[in-house]
Amino acid sequence: MWAYTFRRILATIPTMLAVITVCYLLLHLTPGGPFDSERKVSEAVLANLQAKYHLDLPLWQQYLYYLKGLLQGDLGASFRYADWSVNDLVAAALPVSLTIGGGAILLSVIIGVGLGITAALKQNSFIDYFVMLIGNIGSTIPSFVLGPVLILVFAIWIPVLPAGGWDEFNVRFIILPLSLLTFINVSTIARVMRGSLIEVMSSNFIRTARAKGLPLKTIVFRHALKPALLPVVSVLGPLAISSITAAVVTESVFSLPGIGKLIVNGASNRDYTLVLGLVVLVTVVAVLLNLLVDLAYALLDPKIRY
Amino acid sequence: MSWTMKSVTFALAFALGGAAFAATVPAGVKLSDKQEMIRNNGSEVETLDPHLAESVGANNITRDLFEGLTTSDNEGRLHPGVATSWKQTDPTTWVFSLRKDAKFSNGDPITAADFVYGWQRFLDPKLASQYGTAYGIFVLNGLEIAEGKKAPSTLGIKAIDKYTLEVKTPNPISYLPSVLSNSQFAPVHKATIDKFGKDWTKPGNMVGNGAYALKDWKVNSKIVIEKNPQYWDAKNTVLTRVTYLPVEAGNAELKLYQSGDNDFIYQLPAGQYEKLKKDFPQEIKNGPILGLRYYSLNNKDPMMKDVRVRKALSMVLDRDILAQKVTVDGQIPAYGVTVKGLEGADVTTYDWVKWPMAKRVEEAKKLLAEAGVKPGAKIKFTYNTDDYHKKMALFASSEWKNKLGLETELDSLEFKVLLKKRHDGDFQIARNGWLADYNDATTFLTLVQCGSSQNDNFNCNKKAEELIKQGNEQQDVAKRKALLTQAAKLVMDDYPMIPLLQYTLPRLVKSYVGGYSTKNPVDRYLSKEFYIIKH
Repeated sequence: MWAYTFRRILATIPTMLAVITVCYLLLHLTPGGPFDSERKVSEAVLANLQAKYHLDLPLWQQYLYYLKGLLQGDLGASFRYADWSVNDLVAAALPVSLTIGGGAILLSVIIGVGLGITAALKQNSFIDYFVMLIGNIGSTIPSFVLGPVLILVFAIWIPVLPAGGWDEFNVRFIILPLSLLTFINVSTIARVMRGSLIEVMSSNFIRTARAKGLPLKTIVFRHALKPALLPVVSVLGPLAISSITAAVVTESVFSLPGIGKLIVNGASNRDYTLVLGLVVLVTVVAVLLNLLVDLAYALLDPKIRY
Repeated sequence: MSWTMKSVTFALAFALGGAAFAATVPAGVKLSDKQEMIRNNGSEVETLDPHLAESVGANNITRDLFEGLTTSDNEGRLHPGVATSWKQTDPTTWVFSLRKDAKFSNGDPITAADFVYGWQRFLDPKLASQYGTAYGIFVLNGLEIAEGKKAPSTLGIKAIDKYTLEVKTPNPISYLPSVLSNSQFAPVHKATIDKFGKDWTKPGNMVGNGAYALKDWKVNSKIVIEKNPQYWDAKNTVLTRVTYLPVEAGNAELKLYQSGDNDFIYQLPAGQYEKLKKDFPQEIKNGPILGLRYYSLNNKDPMMKDVRVRKALSMVLDRDILAQKVTVDGQIPAYGVTVKGLEGADVTTYDWVKWPMAKRVEEAKKLLAEAGVKPGAKIKFTYNTDDYHKKMALFASSEWKNKLGLETELDSLEFKVLLKKRHDGDFQIARNGWLADYNDATTFLTLVQCGSSQNDNFNCNKKAEELIKQGNEQQDVAKRKALLTQAAKLVMDDYPMIPLLQYTLPRLVKSYVGGYSTKNPVDRYLSKEFYIIKH
């Protein structure tokens, strides 16, 4: 298991390097530079700005300069936000995104697995139809529609929660965005869990367990749940990564100062270092999540440890 | 009256008129016990360093945190800031007397030397302020310093003594006090900058001299400022705490307003003005500001370099319909490069504005025929992706199609790409807009002057250029105005661009917020002028 884990970690290095390189080149190929603004800057000012951010060097030198900083844990200076380094900006935004995104994944696993099991065991009942309805709503109504509806209901019609903004010391600001992201994720997990458990419950070894007279609770939790969780674990990685993209919308709807908003601002401002810093972060998170999923898979199914 | 006498009188009028000008609470108004306000600022600020601030949002906050020699109230009227009075001792020399009770937020007194340091820092190209060349033109050697051709020590500013400052200008600039109200000309605390470097703008480090001091700054979340007890006019500053929000999405901003989490909307979402006017009749505010929406015509383009084509394209666009049926937010039709409320030049217009549209179309067709442009000819219009701009672009293309038979190819681009294409001259017709940096005609004339870095039309009228030069040398305000108006008319007779609408800024402000005025042409609202009415 350790050798497998080590191999998987080693394999992430070329992946990350490739992502950074491609992103670096794409950013520099994109028309419009970081200092293009309504007010055209003078040649002298432009030259000083370019020297300040090493943009006066050949591209390959800039790239090496960037990689050197990266290896030292320095993501560079933001081109747009002159008072902050990219490290500062990421450090400020990450807790927000982790609270909302991580919290939503955790909650949706608990609720989604629970709902999926219930729906599978009560197949074709009212509960099953209800869970499927929730699943369909969550997967079809986009977050930019559902978010404003939540605000309308809980912040304007029944003003019990704030319409947006962030205060790390006040849980009221977390409730609506967390609910939105959780709802979207729950729908996916519940549907996958339901389908998977129904399939496992109809397999031969469960039939044998039933024939032996084991109680349903034992059959489900000791025998069926582990294999049924495999597809759920498979979707968790992509789901967590898609939460980052969903966060762009959620953060915009609820005016949250998270990673999603920084990515959008960084890209539109051609803030190369900020975008690259966030790409590095998202890549690390994605690679780590995939690694965790693979390890969880290996734990649930020993055949996978190759 | 001699010229010098006039200048002294002018200065005294300002000094006396502005003896007390912070929040003016009308008699009978009961104030709320809690004097706190939340105002949205449109986007996250790029910096809180007043010398580097470029965006409208950043300048909104730096004006609360820093104060220059002069300042302006919420109706855009000029008032003394750190200077109590000023006079023009000769056409290119100004002397400012500084108040002795002005202090930085750490209690250090503000002296003339702080201004010398601040201005030299602002214009030093090593700092790379994007406003350096724009504002450098107002101080002797300022432009040359910003362009790296002269040392900052050669700047035309001198501390005569601790509380007297002398400023030399490259030519007579009667409106200099107005320009100096921009926070780029504010003093900064040298010891703080030396100690903290770029971190001097962080909460806990920053030392300013405005009515407010920085309390908290969470990027993309909020900036909180609190009343500065060291400010010379603190006793007349009513709001104790102001929270600036960086919300960009208009709908998100509106929801915050409706839920009571925001008292002051930065800008309404596009297309909702009429509805919100009905929903919030007491809270909707809308007034013209010094801003122009226009389309740049690339005067170097093979087709657009013919003035007949440019004229034809301009005269068939019905600005009245554009304002009343398309943008529908109270904007004013515009036909010249100068706008209403601007000082230093009158609004100019075209004779054909009074013609019936049929006659305008007939004339435009004739002009196109003479220029060899046949119906079916293609033109390319470039704009940045935004519903508002798209609506206007569709209207323009429909006007050109229906009235002249021209086919418009619409090219929607990301804003940065549009900016680059516009500055590089890589377009035929492009969306453009301009907001005044200060209340004088010269800020708009840069859009159509020969070789100006802001001239995306690439036109040049030598005669108009000469008139502008003569105007800027002129010491008589009325004569200067006449010359600049004549220049604006002359240059617009070349049809270098298509003026469309004068900006208004529709927004919602809670009815309990006192001190807001719709008569502010520069859309600059100092927090020290607001107060919260008991509600």
